[in-house]
Amino acid sequence: MRHAEGAIHQPGLPAALRASGARLLTAVDDVVDYRALVPLRIAVGVLTIVQLAPFLADAADGRTYADGFTVPYGAWYPELPGTVYVAALALAAVAGVFMACGLFTRVTTTYTAAFFIYNLFLSRTHYHHNRAFLGVLLVGLALVPAGNAISLDALRNRRRGRPRPAEGRRWPLMLLRFQVGAVYAASGFSKLLDPDWFGGTVLRLRVERQAAASVAAGVPQWLVDVIASPQFQAVFAKVVVLTEIFIGLGLLVPRLRTAAIWVAIPFHVAIAVTADVEVFSWAALAALTIWVTPRAHDREVVIGSRIRAMRGWATIVRLLDWTGRFRVTVDPAQDVAVVLRDRDGSVRSGQPAAVRVATLLPATFFIAAPLGVTGRWGVHSPQGTTSRRTG
Amino acid sequence: MVTLGEVGRRRLRRAIVIGWVVVSLSAIIAGYRGTSPVLAWQMFPEASRWQATIVRVTGDGERIDVREPWPGGYRWADLVEERRLRAPFTEQDASYGIAATLDLVQHAIDWVAANTPDDHETEWLEATVTYRHNADPPQTVVLTSPPRSGGR
Repeated sequence: MRHAEGAIHQPGLPAALRASGARLLTAVDDVVDYRALVPLRIAVGVLTIVQLAPFLADAADGRTYADGFTVPYGAWYPELPGTVYVAALALAAVAGVFMACGLFTRVTTTYTAAFFIYNLFLSRTHYHHNRAFLGVLLVGLALVPAGNAISLDALRNRRRGRPRPAEGRRWPLMLLRFQVGAVYAASGFSKLLDPDWFGGTVLRLRVERQAAASVAAGVPQWLVDVIASPQFQAVFAKVVVLTEIFIGLGLLVPRLRTAAIWVAIPFHVAIAVTADVEVFSWAALAALTIWVTPRAHDREVVIGSRIRAMRGWATIVRLLDWTGRFRVTVDPAQDVAVVLRDRDGSVRSGQPAAVRVATLLPATFFIAAPLGVTGRWGVHSPQGTTSRRTG
Repeated sequence: MVTLGEVGRRRLRRAIVIGWVVVSLSAIIAGYRGTSPVLAWQMFPEASRWQATIVRVTGDGERIDVREPWPGGYRWADLVEERRLRAPFTEQDASYGIAATLDLVQHAIDWVAANTPDDHETEWLEATVTYRHNADPPQTVVLTSPPRSGGR
């Protein structure tokens, strides 16, 4: 009977897809808070300068792209004369600094993004995936008010008595999320479809080439032999490919998002250690902040300062709250060390609250998230005990 | 100046979102064909290796390695600063795969042939590229630039 009723009311797959599509398109108009993207703005500003540094060094030596081999994407692409290019390049570096500091953020981020993309597509020799990834992040940041918090702009606006919220429409965030998820998924699926990759040949060859250097660096020979063996790589390659796909799809699925972010951290650290990918790993780690729920200061942490050892914790939580999730207050009358009031009204106290807070701070997330999952400490909410999964 | 009402802005937002998704997916699919890696996000696609010997072929048929002195004082590493091509003489990874690398080498010799006006003896450039696609046996391919108008 229940089955029959379910069958009657269950929408067909195309109808469900249409409904999901309609919901997504409606969501583009939502107003969300971009406070969480402040660390990304700062990181991308710095990484952009790092990426432009070789071009600046060439310019300082009197050389530009026009003095050497280039492969334009098309004859239609505008090429700036040498002096104009150097001036535009220098201005982009200055704009990158301003962007990181949050000074005239909208203008400087837009200019930085525009020049960076222009330079990237000036020649095929300039193109690298990690640079394109940084370009995507720059474009996303140029579309959102990420300079209205933790910035010189915010300071200036406060002094003028006109503080501005970091609110904006959701669509740039949706695009950023789609594109970042697509990077992982596209990379993973391309390897899945390549028998040499999925079978382990590509990784084995790369490891074999690093073997001598690894042994010279102190890695035991037996370990190198095991890692370089076809049997090990046949399994390891599948782990790598499926990990990449899991990150890509998991980031896009709210129920899997926390796990995907957790997996992404060691994944990028491993890439940074074992491969030359310029600034990609750091950009990708910073980009994990785009998955923070875009609502600022919607959780309250109350530190009980009655306990002497807890007095400094309010400052520590404020300093580590890079994505702006908490309102932190100190209650001298509170007996409990930490109380967390979550956005749904649920309340944790003591150790469960401390673990939950640590899970929501970027610097401690990687250590605390597994504790939060395995602990399953009770949460007092108006609806009864719950365990939440969203970030 | 045209100003958009709320309905227009809403439509514009949807159009941008849909447009970007379509462009992004198209670039990913296009990455499986052709040699351009742009926005295809195929990271570390191969473990292929390559190495090239590049010579200038003069009017009398002499083949001179581009590392030798060059009329006009040119140097390969100055002309082709791109990090993958600056020293093609030693074996190295094919960052974006063999197909993209061969395409880039072809462009490099074409560009050098067209941008060395003080060299009046070279007829064309020739790159003999030896590559190994992943664990496959080595293969050799010869790439040549168009004939130079500057040669005799």
